[in-house]
Amino acid sequence: MAQVQVLFFGRMADITGMRKTVRDADSLVGLRDSLFAGDAAAVRMSVNQVQVFSDQTLADGDEVAFFSVFSGG
Amino acid sequence: MRIQLLEQPLNAAAAHGEFLVEHGHYGAVAAFTGVVRSEAGGVDYLYLDWYPGMTEASIRAIADAAKARFDIRAVAVLHRCGRVEAGEPVVFVAAASEHRRAAFEAVDYMMDRLKSEAALWKREVGDGLDRWIEPRPEDAASLKRWS
Repeated sequence: MAQVQVLFFGRMADITGMRKTVRDADSLVGLRDSLFAGDAAAVRMSVNQVQVFSDQTLADGDEVAFFSVFSGG
Repeated sequence: MRIQLLEQPLNAAAAHGEFLVEHGHYGAVAAFTGVVRSEAGGVDYLYLDWYPGMTEASIRAIADAAKARFDIRAVAVLHRCGRVEAGEPVVFVAAASEHRRAAFEAVDYMMDRLKSEAALWKREVGDGLDRWIEPRPEDAASLKRWS
């Protein structure tokens, strides 16, 4: 298991009630599913500030973020 | 290229003036300022959530793409984050070129991409109102014009 820092932005911070936490996890999708059981399809993900669209293995010290779709401008 | 994410109020007039002084010699400067609408008095402020580092990088990527795509010489993108009151500027985008068409198009292009691709999350707050703003179909249609 890797220990990763997890950040939440936008609606995902409201859903989890957290802005930041530390978790042990092997995979990005596994971590996402453990945090957003019913809403996983709406969750966007990044690892070390790069948005990713599929599962990947996590390493110790990775910074993972979960967020909703962007709405800037 | 000037890219800034601001937690303090954005002085769009000053930004425009500075851009004009620095880049007006190219011959054409186009600029756009987006202001928080009160939506008939219902919205008191927007809260723009941001991811330090990733948000700036996403804005810079859009500006880089505009420079690569259009014949422009300079670009500025100043974007607010945090709490922005109704009536305050939320974004300022400018482009300088030797001819007006490229500057106009570059600004239009950057705004369309900022709406959908800048790593920002907008929340409307007002009287009985508190909701995250989801992208609108018009935003996707605007973005598609450039594909």
